[in-house]
Amino acid sequence: MRTDPSGRLFWLFLCVLLSPSIALANSVAIMNGTVHTVTDAGVIEDGDVLIEGDIISGVGGNLRPIGDPQIIDAEGKVVTPGFFSALTSIGLEEISIDSEANDTRPDWEFPLSAALDGTLGFNPRSTVIPVTRVAGVTRAFVTPIPAANVFGGQGFVADMSGTDNSVTKPWAAQIASAGSGGAYLAGNTRLGAWAILTEHLDRARLFAADPTAYRRDEREQRFSLSDIQALAPVINNEQLLLIGAHRADDLRRVIALKAEYQVDVAVFGGAEAWRVAQELAEAAIPVILNPLQNLPSNFESLGSTLENAARLNAAGAVIAFYDSEIGFTHNARLLPQLAGNAVANGLPYEAAMAAVTRNPAEIFGVGDMLGSLAPEKLADVVVWDGDPFEVTSRPEMVIIAGKIMPLDTRQTKLRDRYRDLTRGDLPPAYRR
Amino acid sequence: MRVLSLMGCLIMLAACGPSDEVSTSEAEPPKDESVAFASTYSPYPSTPTIIENATLLTGDGGRIDGGTIVLVDGKIDYVGEGSPAETPEGAVVIDAAGKYVTPGIIDIHSHLGVYPSPATDSTADGNEIGSPNTAEVWAEHSVWPQDPGFSRALAGGVTSLQILPGSANLFGGRTVTLKNVPARTVQGMKFPGAPYGFKMACGENPKRVYRDKGLFTRMGNMAGYRAAWIKAAAYKKKWDAFNEEMQSNKDDEEAPDPPDRDLELESLAGVLSDDILLNMHCYRADEMAQIIDLAQEFDYKITSFHHATEAYKIADLLAENDICAAVWADWWGFKLEAYDTIRENAALVHAQEGGCAIIHSDSEFDIQRLNQEAAKAMSDGNRIGLDITEEQAMAWITLNPAKAMGIDEQTGSLVAGKMADVVVWNRNPFSVYAQSEKVFVDGALLYDRNDPARVPQSDFELGQDLEGAGQ
Repeated sequence: MRTDPSGRLFWLFLCVLLSPSIALANSVAIMNGTVHTVTDAGVIEDGDVLIEGDIISGVGGNLRPIGDPQIIDAEGKVVTPGFFSALTSIGLEEISIDSEANDTRPDWEFPLSAALDGTLGFNPRSTVIPVTRVAGVTRAFVTPIPAANVFGGQGFVADMSGTDNSVTKPWAAQIASAGSGGAYLAGNTRLGAWAILTEHLDRARLFAADPTAYRRDEREQRFSLSDIQALAPVINNEQLLLIGAHRADDLRRVIALKAEYQVDVAVFGGAEAWRVAQELAEAAIPVILNPLQNLPSNFESLGSTLENAARLNAAGAVIAFYDSEIGFTHNARLLPQLAGNAVANGLPYEAAMAAVTRNPAEIFGVGDMLGSLAPEKLADVVVWDGDPFEVTSRPEMVIIAGKIMPLDTRQTKLRDRYRDLTRGDLPPAYRR
Repeated sequence: MRVLSLMGCLIMLAACGPSDEVSTSEAEPPKDESVAFASTYSPYPSTPTIIENATLLTGDGGRIDGGTIVLVDGKIDYVGEGSPAETPEGAVVIDAAGKYVTPGIIDIHSHLGVYPSPATDSTADGNEIGSPNTAEVWAEHSVWPQDPGFSRALAGGVTSLQILPGSANLFGGRTVTLKNVPARTVQGMKFPGAPYGFKMACGENPKRVYRDKGLFTRMGNMAGYRAAWIKAAAYKKKWDAFNEEMQSNKDDEEAPDPPDRDLELESLAGVLSDDILLNMHCYRADEMAQIIDLAQEFDYKITSFHHATEAYKIADLLAENDICAAVWADWWGFKLEAYDTIRENAALVHAQEGGCAIIHSDSEFDIQRLNQEAAKAMSDGNRIGLDITEEQAMAWITLNPAKAMGIDEQTGSLVAGKMADVVVWNRNPFSVYAQSEKVFVDGALLYDRNDPARVPQSDFELGQDLEGAGQ
């Protein structure tokens, strides 16, 4: 028998394997829930979501499941796409303060920056992952943090299944800090930050135009070739450039940078983004923000307000959320609470739902397969026991790419071990 | 008044007797000249206010549907169903149908003012990290009253808060309890009659920060505590002897010379004499057990463990020793000693017979939403069948911290005679959509979401180009 994979036998075998008529693919029917499709179909009361294998096969009212699926009665429940954390370092840091268990950033004197590839540090067995998914967050943009210079390297989209193949899209974005974050890494002045940022982009443009000539040019040796090479996808408009900035004038410089370099740009931070909302919307620059940022935490965020999300949305800007504080990684699971607070401060409910599902999927270039409940999309689906944004609601079922996820975590096991403190016949260490 | 008890008198070298006892229920306590850095706070003018048709979560576990609360002269005058027998003249009547009324929220763990916004090197005044023992410092000497965080916390319903020094040191220094009232001076915010608190820290922080100063391990931490307590006990003994001599001293006799004052030992001696309430930053269950034994060795009381991410592992031990656990709802993983948090931590502490759960913030952001933090902790407890009611969980952010801060006689629950520290919420405060509408501090309306004239703005923010910001 020929073993060439292009051979007919191989393809026949593959077809049989993938055929829906073979009962290998799992099939789930979530029936009669309040379904937030986050598509033009809006919210469907008494709605159904059908899943075949890893994809959604149907969304609507009064659907008839085909075959013999696992039926989930979602009456009185809310069904949403899996939530999508737009900025976190899940899987790159198990313990933030412990450098041995934290791969988010290099030391400041490390020679490389943009070249760093976040996927190389990703540990799908991090305990943060189950803790995150049982809270309804099924995907995340996972990023390294700029620390050696204004560029931090390349982040990626991952699912929260904790399996070995959980990177959805590697190299989804290059991250950089402008504003005072960038200044800190560039001679303690934002002048330095912009200089380093644009200089790298200029070099990358030269490199992209003629890599061979660039490599030969000795004048370019003072830049790390790996960093410049890593920025080629950005300058070629094949990779998102995610820039951290808060102050309104810094955000205007980001808009100008996008126009000058013709690159795909999103902003994170954006405390004063509401002041530039119209311009950001017109420039099609999405803003990933912390809806709870309402303090003048430093001089670049004097204009912080809880209405940032609402005002950006009203101006037509695309928004997504992240926790810029201590919960950046370990409490990325609190995305619903961020959304709820944005709603409490004027953001329309459905806009908040998009901000935690569809918008981040689209920002990171996976909107064709994730972020909403529609046929042919990957089946990341969460069934909630109440309003998902409510602090007293929790998921009852979390499905990632069609697979029903277990709802236990290291935390629930600790809870169960110490739920009963009576001495017992054996120490707690024997309870698991 | 606890702060004026024996040690306080001795500290100020003033002979003070029972006549110096100041009733803490006085609306305007006279400035106490015998206390250094005394409170100068007095309540702002208030209009008699009747809030009716509200759901009252009284903070002490009570709930009154269709309830009425009356605020007169800075005090709670009436709490109950229906209308009071007498209504005060000229009272403002607020129809709170569909709304909730709770005691002012109390945060037992805040660094507002000492780590203010904006966070710069010149404002980072929260931790005197030069030495593992800085018992001599007082947080109030670092508090910047213009921290914009105070007004944000007020909008979150916070009316009282304890400001602590940071947790680098074994002995971090004295805390200060404030009323959340904008003031020119910290003295103008100090909670009248509140006892002092003291901050100590366990575990990772001291051994990390003082690695270069010869402190490497947890056993080193313990040795450091014990050495200091031995000195403090000797210091206290000297002052007790002096005091005894002063008491028995006749007018015609020459007064004995007082021992030398030592600010560091003075604060520690205050803890040993129960005048200063001890707040112990500790994460791990095994370390909390060590600290409980340490307190027994030197015969002092731990009022509350702060952070206590593993409190659930020793909820029985905490209850037996009458120690509150002041915890976050769900923070974890930022360091190894915070690795074992569970979302049911507060609820399991609460469920223990005699347990005392407190939700604290330790954050200029979370302090604005302690109601949401309590809601999360409650709901996670209820998912494992603990049947915690909203009225019970309300105590986690009102009466329980008030008890642990020694101000529960004055505030922390909706009880006639207490300070009229009251929040009107636009809906159930255990909802993410809830917002405070009105916040009264000693009966004075100091925050009104619908009246810009009743929204304070700090000096720092005044005159900045902030149109539309700062909310």
